[in-house]
Amino acid sequence: MIDKIFFNFTRFSALLILIIVAWIFTVLFNHSLEAMNTFGLDFITKDEWAPNLDKFGTQAAILGSIISTFLAMLLAVPVAIGVAIFLSEIAHPKIKGLFGVSVELLAAIPSVIYGMWGLFFFVPIIRDIFGGLGIGLLAAGIILAIMILPFMAAVTRDAMNTTPDILKESAYALGGTQWDVIKDIIIPYAKAGIIGSLILALGRAIGETMAVTFVMGNVHHVPKSILDPTTSIPVTLANEFTEADSSLYFSSLFGLALTLLIMSFVVIAIAKFYFLRKARRA
Amino acid sequence: MASIIDIKEECALHVRDFEFTYKGAESPSLKKITMPIAKHSITALIGPSGCGKTTLLRSFNRMHDLYPGNSYAGEIEFEGRNILGPKEDLIHLRTKIGMIFQKPTAFPMSIFDNVAYGLRLQGIKNKTELKDRVEKALQDAAIWKEVGDRLKNDANGLSGGQQQRLCIARAIAVEPEVLLFDEPTSALDPISTQGIERLVIELKERVSIIIVTHNMQQAARVSDYTGFMYLGELIELGETEKLFVTPKEKLTQEYITGKFG
Amino acid sequence: MTAVQKRVVINKIALALSTISALIALGFLFWILGVLVMKGVSALNWNIFIFEGAPPGYDESGLKHALVGQAILIGMATAIGVPVGILAGTYLSEYGKNSKLAHTIRDISDIMMSAPSIVIGAFVYAVVVMPMGHFSAWAGAIALGIIMIPIILRTTDDMLQLVPGELREAAFALGAPKYKVILSVVYRGAKAGILTGVLLGIARVGGETAPLLFTSFNDNFFTTNLNEAMPSLTVTMFNYATSPYEDWQQLGWAAAFILSMFILGLNILGRVILFAGKKRK
Ligand SMILES: Nc1ncnc2c1ncn2[C@@H]1O[C@H](COP(=O)(O)OP(=O)(O)OP(=O)(O)O)[C@@H](O)[C@H]1O
Ligand SMILES: [Mg+2]
Repeated sequence: MIDKIFFNFTRFSALLILIIVAWIFTVLFNHSLEAMNTFGLDFITKDEWAPNLDKFGTQAAILGSIISTFLAMLLAVPVAIGVAIFLSEIAHPKIKGLFGVSVELLAAIPSVIYGMWGLFFFVPIIRDIFGGLGIGLLAAGIILAIMILPFMAAVTRDAMNTTPDILKESAYALGGTQWDVIKDIIIPYAKAGIIGSLILALGRAIGETMAVTFVMGNVHHVPKSILDPTTSIPVTLANEFTEADSSLYFSSLFGLALTLLIMSFVVIAIAKFYFLRKARRA
Repeated sequence: MASIIDIKEECALHVRDFEFTYKGAESPSLKKITMPIAKHSITALIGPSGCGKTTLLRSFNRMHDLYPGNSYAGEIEFEGRNILGPKEDLIHLRTKIGMIFQKPTAFPMSIFDNVAYGLRLQGIKNKTELKDRVEKALQDAAIWKEVGDRLKNDANGLSGGQQQRLCIARAIAVEPEVLLFDEPTSALDPISTQGIERLVIELKERVSIIIVTHNMQQAARVSDYTGFMYLGELIELGETEKLFVTPKEKLTQEYITGKFG
Repeated sequence: MTAVQKRVVINKIALALSTISALIALGFLFWILGVLVMKGVSALNWNIFIFEGAPPGYDESGLKHALVGQAILIGMATAIGVPVGILAGTYLSEYGKNSKLAHTIRDISDIMMSAPSIVIGAFVYAVVVMPMGHFSAWAGAIALGIIMIPIILRTTDDMLQLVPGELREAAFALGAPKYKVILSVVYRGAKAGILTGVLLGIARVGGETAPLLFTSFNDNFFTTNLNEAMPSLTVTMFNYATSPYEDWQQLGWAAAFILSMFILGLNILGRVILFAGKKRK
C-alpha cells in the first residue's frame, strides 16, 4: 500500500520533467502564434523592430546571438584547449588540483558578475583601442568567451583525462615527447569527448543572458562591423519583456524565446547524444 | 644473503645497488638490487604480487620519470653509461629500450600508423622505407599474415592477441636493443598466449628481453635466466633450469613450491 | 637539426603555448575576482544589512530587502526543486533503471540542465504572472525551482546508483518493503552525495538573474508578501550596477560580493562533504 503510493510519487516526479518540458514548448509556441501568423517568414528575415509601429523582425537578434556566440567560441576554444592541456598534462600535480578546483569554482560565479565587470572594466578598454562606444558584438563576444572559459576548460580537461595512462605510456615508451603524446594519442582518443564538451559550452553560451545584456547595446540593427552595438535574443528578452505593451509585442518576444530554446536544445542535444555518447562508448 | 649468479656472457644491462622510492613513500620499493642482464637472452622476473617486479622493469626505460617525485639511487649501466644520470636523453633511451604492457595498447589510428609511429617519431618520412619497415616488423611479430591486407583498418578492431602482437611489432620496428615485457599475456587467452611466448623466444636472436610474469610455467618455458623478487629485494638470480630445480635460497624454494604468494 | 631535435623544440613551444594560455585565462579570472573583491569589500558596511533600498544619495540605504528577498526566493525554490528532484532521481535509479522511459527522462533532464534560464522565465511569465496579473515571489520561486529539478535529479540518480546492490538485498532479505529499503538503507548510503547535490543546486540557482527579471521582478523595499514582486540580490545588483548613480553602483558591487561568497561557500562545502563521505568509506 505505502509501497504503491511511494512508487507513484517518485514516478510522477520523474514524469513531471517530461510534462514541464512539453508544457514549456507548448506555451511558448501558443504565445508566439500571433507573431508568426502576422509576420510569417518576415519574423526571422527582417531586422525592422519597431514596437511603436507594431513591426517585429528578429533577424538582428538572431544574428546577434549567432555571431556573438561564434566570436566567443573563436576566442575561447583555443585558450580552453590550452588550459585543458595544461591542467591534464603539464601542471605539477599540486597545481593541477588547486588550479583545477579554482577553474571549477570560477565556473560557478554568477554570470551577471562577468557582465558587470565587462561593462565597467572591459568596455572602456575596447572604447580606447577601437573608438566608438565600446559596446557591441566584440565586447559581448569577448566577455562571453571569458565567462564560458572555465566551464569549457573544465569539461575539456575531463574529456582528456579519460585517456588511459597505459596508452600514453606506450607512446612515451616509443620515445614520444609530451606534445607528441598530446597530439597523437590524447586528442585522437578523446576527440569525441572534447568536441562534445566544446559544443556543450556553445549551447550554454547561446542562452547566456546576464553576461552580455550590459554590453550588447540592445539596438535592433544587423551590425556592419563587430564594433557596432546590436542585440541578441536573450538581451532583447531581458530588456524588453517588462516593457512590452501590446499583445503582438509579447507574442514576438515569446517567439524569440521559442527560437532560443530550439537553438540551444538542438546544440545541446548534438553535444550530448552524438559526441558525448560516442565518447562514453569508446 | 641474496644469491646472484655471475653471468659470463656479455651483459645488456647491469643493475648495481639500485634503489627506487615512490613519491611520498616512507621506504624504498626496491632495495639494493644488483642484477646482470645477459645480452640476447630472456630474463624472467617472478615473485608475489607487490614485490616490485613492475617497478624494476619500469626503471629500465625510466618510465617513472613521467610522474614527478619518484627517486632512484644506485646505477643501471647500459651501453657503457649509467642511465640514471641527470643528463640521460630519455627519448633516445626509450627508442633503445622498448616496452610491452600488461594490456594491449593499440593507438587510436590505423594498423599501419601504429607500427609506423615510432619510425615517424625518428623522422623517417620516405614512404617506401616506412612501408618496408612496417611490413618487416609485422612479419617479425608474426601478424603480417593476418593484417597484411588491411593495414588501413583501425587497429582497435583487432582481437586482444592480435593487438598485443601489433604492439610488439610497433616496439621492434624501431630496432631496440632491449625489450621489456610486463605480464604481456595476462589479458590473453591460452592460444594467444602461446603465440606471444613463441614470438618472445624468436625475438631473442636480435634483442635482449626482460619479462615479468606471474606464471612460473611461463618463466620456465621461455626464459634463460630467472630472478625471484620478494618485498622489493632480488632474492635470487640464476639460470632458469637450475633455479626451478635446485634453488639456492629457502625463500625461492618456498615460492616455487607454492608455499606462499 | 635532426628530426628528434626538431620534435624536442616543437614540444617546448607547444607546452609553452599551453602554459601561456593557462596564464592568460588565470589572468582574466583573477582580474575579475580582484575587481569583485576590491569593489565589494570597499562597499561593505553594516548599513547594508540594516537598511533597505533608498533613492540615490541617501546615506541610509542598504540591501536588507534584497538579502531577505533572495533568501525567501531560494528557500521556496529549494522547497519545490529538492523534493521533486530527489523523488524523480529515486524513480530513475530504483524503479526505472535501464528502461526506455528512464533513459528518455535522463536525456531530457540533461538537456534542461543546460537550457537557457531566461526561457524558463518567459514560460513562468506566461503561466503564472499573466494569469495573476502581476509579478510575484511565487513566480520567481517556481522559475528557480524548475531550473533546480534537473540538477537534483541528476545527482540523486547518480548517487543512488553508487549504493551497492548488496545493501539493498540484505534489507530485502529481512523482509522490508521496497519503500522502506529506499528510505532507510539507500538514502542513508547516499546521504553525503545527495546533500552535495542539493548544495550545488542551491548554488546554481542562487546566481540566476535572468529568470527572475520578469517573474519576481524587483522591488526597492523590504517585503515578505509572496504575492508581490520580490527583490533579489541578483536583479538588484543588475539594476544598481546599470544605474548612473555612484552609490547605487557601490551597493551593486557589495551585492555581487556577498552573493559570490555565498555561492563559492556552498560549492566548497559541497565538495568537502562529498570528499569526507568518500574518505570514510
Ligand atoms: N605509483 C605508486 N606509488 C606508490 N607506490 C607504488 C606505486 N606503484 C606501486 N607501488 C608500490 O610498490 C610496490 C611494488 O609494486 P609493483 O607494482 O612493482 O609490484 P609487482 O611485483 O609488479 O606486483 P604485481 O605482480 O601485482 O604486478 C608495492 O608495494 C606497491 O604498493
Ligand atoms: Mg606488476
